[in-house]
Amino acid sequence: MDLRPAGRDELTGMLRAATADRRMLDIRGGGLHSRRGWPFTPDDVLHTGALAGVVDYEPDDMTITVEGGVTVGEVLRLAGERGQGWPQAPSAPAATVGGVLAAAAGGRRRLRFGPIRDSLLEVVVATGDGRIVKGGGRTVKSVTGYDLPRLLTGSLGTLGVIVQATLRLWPLPMAEQWFSARGEPAGMLEMARGLLADLHRPTAVIVGPGSLHACITGVPDDVVAPAGMVESPEPSGPGPGGDGPAGAHGGVVEIGVPPATLPAVARRLADDGRAFEAWMGTGICRAAVSAPDDVRVMRELAMLHDGHAQVIDGDDALRSDPFGPVPAGADIMRRIRASFDPAGILCPGRFAAAEAVPA
Amino acid sequence: MTTTAGALADQLRHLLGPDRLLEGDLARNLYSHDGSIVGGDCGIVALPETTDEVAACMRMAHEAGVDVVPRGSGTGLTGGAVPLEGGLVISLARMREMGEVDVANSCMWVQPGVLNLDVSMAIAHLGLHYAPDPSSQQACSIGGNVGTNAGGPHCLAYGVTVQHVLGVEMVRPDGEVVILGGVAPDPPGYDLRGVVVGAEGTVGIVTRVLLRLTPLPPDVRTMLLDFLSVSDASAVVQAIIAAGVIPAALEMMDRNMTMAVEEFVHAGLPTDAAALLLVEVDGTAAEVGTATEVVERVARGHGVRTVRVAQDEEERALLWKARKTAFGAVARVKPSYYLHDCVVPRTRLVEVMEAIGEITEREGVMCLNVFHAGDGNLHPIIALDRSDPDETERAMRAGDQIVRACVAMGGTLSGEHGIGVEKRDYMPLVFDHDDLEAQACVRRAFDPDGRMNPDKVLPTGTRCGEVGLADTQVPEGTWI
Ligand SMILES: Cc1cc2nc3c(=O)[nH]c(=O)nc-3n(C[C@H](O)[C@H](O)[C@H](O)COP(=O)(O)OP(=O)(O)OC[C@H]3O[C@@H](n4cnc5c(N)ncnc54)[C@H](O)[C@@H]3O)c2cc1C
Repeated sequence: MDLRPAGRDELTGMLRAATADRRMLDIRGGGLHSRRGWPFTPDDVLHTGALAGVVDYEPDDMTITVEGGVTVGEVLRLAGERGQGWPQAPSAPAATVGGVLAAAAGGRRRLRFGPIRDSLLEVVVATGDGRIVKGGGRTVKSVTGYDLPRLLTGSLGTLGVIVQATLRLWPLPMAEQWFSARGEPAGMLEMARGLLADLHRPTAVIVGPGSLHACITGVPDDVVAPAGMVESPEPSGPGPGGDGPAGAHGGVVEIGVPPATLPAVARRLADDGRAFEAWMGTGICRAAVSAPDDVRVMRELAMLHDGHAQVIDGDDALRSDPFGPVPAGADIMRRIRASFDPAGILCPGRFAAAEAVPA
Repeated sequence: MTTTAGALADQLRHLLGPDRLLEGDLARNLYSHDGSIVGGDCGIVALPETTDEVAACMRMAHEAGVDVVPRGSGTGLTGGAVPLEGGLVISLARMREMGEVDVANSCMWVQPGVLNLDVSMAIAHLGLHYAPDPSSQQACSIGGNVGTNAGGPHCLAYGVTVQHVLGVEMVRPDGEVVILGGVAPDPPGYDLRGVVVGAEGTVGIVTRVLLRLTPLPPDVRTMLLDFLSVSDASAVVQAIIAAGVIPAALEMMDRNMTMAVEEFVHAGLPTDAAALLLVEVDGTAAEVGTATEVVERVARGHGVRTVRVAQDEEERALLWKARKTAFGAVARVKPSYYLHDCVVPRTRLVEVMEAIGEITEREGVMCLNVFHAGDGNLHPIIALDRSDPDETERAMRAGDQIVRACVAMGGTLSGEHGIGVEKRDYMPLVFDHDDLEAQACVRRAFDPDGRMNPDKVLPTGTRCGEVGLADTQVPEGTWI
């Protein structure tokens, strides 16, 4: 069944009922990040799209408070009208704020602006048993209590439904431009290395198979085409070239490795003829996969460099081992989850261990 | 000392030797305080030097069922490192080793007792620095910074401690050692690293910290602006940022503070000004040029009297010294001070400064203001003589009213010092019962027996209810 709560009270009522009846829920915003984690079959899908109110926007404080179902595009539009932006956001306008936070799905400007978790100041969630819990604070700086905003970022719907978020905005830059070049992978990687060494705080340096994209942000004098590159639009598109679903037959793995080892990872992916997008300097690389065996290969590659690999989009078959080894502190995570979702109805089983066989 | 405590002391003495287990009155008195006016009751103090020793201490305390309070340099301003009812203080002050700098990944592991400033000094020759720079950076430890999620003037543009800690090695309350986070970004699962930073020693003892190192900016300019009214200065703070410039640092000092500092540092500060702004912009030469123009233009539009630009590194260092020794300068006015570090939305700065003025005047206490204006993080310092009970009472009352005024303006309790004991009972001003209970559950998930730095952060009586599913109820094969 599809549940579409129109407001907080209705939502908490639905959660209480689901807890009482032990009905398993999947939580869905824009649906762009739903194909994550261990596959499970929910009894109901709870859609957050109707929680779409803009609660408060104080441009002079550079903070905006929105409900979880508000889209990224809407936040960017409102902020843009006041000369502000949300530079950590993914380039997926249809994604919801709650969804991108729950998936920790930040955008390509991470090198300069940091991960998306750094932009979440206050969060309000509805827990599995229908309590409303707030954490963090709306001011741009706060160490008041335990950091629930960071805990919720990347929790993939397993701790609660994000009903409201206060985001930190930034002034739109005086100038910003994407540039690109095409060529052999080795040459592209060498150019990328040069950009990282020579530019002060580049916004993005992204290597793909046979391509290089870079974004420079700042004052007009600094935003000039690096040698060998030409102005080009921001990269976008599905799969490893974008933030959206990979299409019916493919999937995307996100590799995280120490940044200095990313060139080696990218070289390997290029040699193997894979579609990929390596965010140089950040240690993050998205690669296309089409079979469970590809996931294993990607994970081995990542682990060779002391990293990890997660499936961030893919059908059930691709997600038979979405995360790899159980992380340190799993018992702590389990207790936290138990307290937020006592009946275990929120996306149960989404975080699954490598060695387990799906029931 | 009870028998369990006595037996624990024997075990610890055996482990660490008599020199590294402090039991005497002098030490116990010293460790019953931190940088705040909170006083506690210290049992014994262990001084481990390695992770293994910390783990062994923690195992012993676990078996004895004794409370543990982690301590760095003890410069905290909320009583976070102060033991309230005996127990074991574990001081990390002797764990001062820095690992190799990983230049390729711009990071470095350090032990928690390493002092904040020592990190930047050790890596400056590589063109790197550690960005969070609390004013106490010559004395405070990285472990303490992690405990409090410390901030500092340059956190306006660069972000606070949690944004510069890639990973931590932590000894859990039962003595197990875990590594959370790491050089590779975004490991699967919940961001426990993010929870440990700022948990004020209530979830475990951090024994190594993986610091993110930041390139030194190619260019920097430091300016001192002076104003004849605090309101003008506050308005300039707001206007600079509204003009699209986020300076590296944007600090304010009022006249009381300026006078105290100038007498101390002789930096040539205009002591007749109502308020000074210390503004630093950095980046490429072009960025610095543009930002400087904006700052000057905005300031002139709001009645700035003079704009002093530091001409060289020496002058820049002097201006920063004036800012960073401000708390110390208060000692020239009165022997002690009491302060809160509430944050208000930047748009409420003018209003809150007026409110602080009224409150302190009404209570007849002297208030000196020096604070991180750019992010609305106040530090109204009430100078006092604690041997005067009446003055102390008035200072407390003023502090209380300031906190309430900030919260009423949409602010929060602490921007960087943390909650500790000091602000613990104010938590219900910003969080309701369910919010606090959820926080208690997060804490309990790390520390099921509630022995880590008890009675800190959450108000007395806040409990994690008995909600919770037993481990066995987790679907087979899943780890959360
Ligand atoms: C003059 C002065 C200026 C200051 N300026 C600033 C400023 O600009 N910004 C700012 O943020 N703070 C400032 N402070 C406050 C203080 O310096 C910081 O809170 C600092 O982070 C505390 O570090 P410490 O080593 O002294 O920690 P402590 O005071 O010893 O401990 C602080 C907290 O961290 C916990 N802790 C310590 N070590 C560990 C560990 N290894 N593992 C787990 N928990 C641990 C303790 O239990 C305690 O709760 C200032 C203080 C003074 C006296």
